[in-house]
Amino acid sequence: MTTPNQTRTPKTPALSLTGLCGGFDDPVQQSQQVFRRALTALSEPGTLQTLPAADAPTGIHPAAYQLCLALLDAETPLWIAPALKSEALVSALRFHCGCRIVDDPGRAEFALISPDIDGELTRFAQGSHEYPDRSTTLIVQVGSLEATADWTLSGPGIDGTRKVGITGLDPRWPGMLADNHRRFPCGVDILFTAGSVLMGLPRTTRVEI
Amino acid sequence: MTTAFPDQTTDTPADATGYNFAYLDEQTKRMIRRCLLKAVAVPGYQVPFGGREMPLPYGWGTGGMQVTATVIGSDDVLKVIDQGADDTTNAVSIRRFFARTAGVATTESTPQASVIQTRHRIPETPLSRGQILVYQVPIPEPLRFIEPRETETRKMHALQEYGVMHVKLYEDIARFGHIATTYAYPVKVNGHYVMDPSPIPKFDNPKMHGCPALQLFGAGREKRIYAIPPFTRVESLDFEDHPFEVQGWDQTCEFCGSDHSFLDEVVIDDYGGRIFICSDTDYCNQRLDADARKEAV
Ligand SMILES: [Zn+2]
Repeated sequence: MTTPNQTRTPKTPALSLTGLCGGFDDPVQQSQQVFRRALTALSEPGTLQTLPAADAPTGIHPAAYQLCLALLDAETPLWIAPALKSEALVSALRFHCGCRIVDDPGRAEFALISPDIDGELTRFAQGSHEYPDRSTTLIVQVGSLEATADWTLSGPGIDGTRKVGITGLDPRWPGMLADNHRRFPCGVDILFTAGSVLMGLPRTTRVEI
Repeated sequence: MTTAFPDQTTDTPADATGYNFAYLDEQTKRMIRRCLLKAVAVPGYQVPFGGREMPLPYGWGTGGMQVTATVIGSDDVLKVIDQGADDTTNAVSIRRFFARTAGVATTESTPQASVIQTRHRIPETPLSRGQILVYQVPIPEPLRFIEPRETETRKMHALQEYGVMHVKLYEDIARFGHIATTYAYPVKVNGHYVMDPSPIPKFDNPKMHGCPALQLFGAGREKRIYAIPPFTRVESLDFEDHPFEVQGWDQTCEFCGSDHSFLDEVVIDDYGGRIFICSDTDYCNQRLDADARKEAV
């Protein structure tokens, strides 16, 4: 990654190019590559998808940052958890994606969070029965992701069952995920990130501990 | 950027054409990509999408083209089939279009393809994990024939009010003694949404069930995208006393002798002479090649 095009003049004074975290070197190719891994992650829940190493604003996983660069634009309201909402992150996303940062998680198409969120997953947009696609996609930064261990996943995208391990989730999560699964066809979809690794958990996935 | 149709006669690399990679602009691709992520998260549900029109006649399958243009990358190997054949004018045109605008490799071989765009068939060769099958869909809403209002069909899907589908199939039984629907035979995906599988023969329906490949559906005119993730339950609607059945043939393929593939009837002379051949040309050719190799040994 390199610094963004220096000839582009920021429109708002809040943006500073000094120290701004870079975007994609080749936005067309890299966006496609990141998207395909996100597509595989959500269509084969529990598989580990590795993204290239990359710079990211402090406290933000390279996988989470690259998902934002690939998927967000002026049409996608983003909610950022207070703990992650640094000036560096907000400036970089405003500059590279032009996305709106919103205060109400219920209006967010995407949300970037850590597992220690206040409240339930129902804080986010759930979609309606007529339009279940209008729900928030959560990018959740966790401690680590493993291809085996204590959780057993089943549902579409999984041939039988799949074992996964996710560290850094507090004890509320299995219950919150079970509730989310029960709300089908409504509910949020989750992209877990750990460093450069990505794992998908759509609302259709059943989690057993 | 010009909006003229890409030149059909010169073979210039993608970068030299002046077109965006895979033709679509990046904003449209991002929007369709977000729809695709929601489509796999709610299998069989039709996600509406916006965006600009692709400057192609609808017969080309603009929905399928938009999906392919959105998922495809420079490492992909693309196969395009029209009614099972790789060599029809449509299939060749679409393959060339992506070879030119995205610089991707193309193939006629089902196992070698990473992305397969199709109109009206699922290949006979079983698909594998990691492959993506993109269907061109003319009419995405299976309930449209009974209910023209979008607000109502959405409610019917939400409440799983699918009785009308069964009534339609049962009327067939009353009239013909069997279910006469042979194409676009409705399926239920993951036990919830009833979905139009596009006008594939019902012969192909069982291939959708538990398929290891990702199946994506694009309807250009109505701007809908839907999906079936790999290893997903896909059931063709039927009745206890009239279970779902696929077509069968008394004949075998004239070329490769296959007794298990979908056969097309071809008139061969002016005297009514006819033969049956595999509709999947790649499958037929691979069987012929295998026979030739066996004989050579
Ligand atoms: Zn044959």
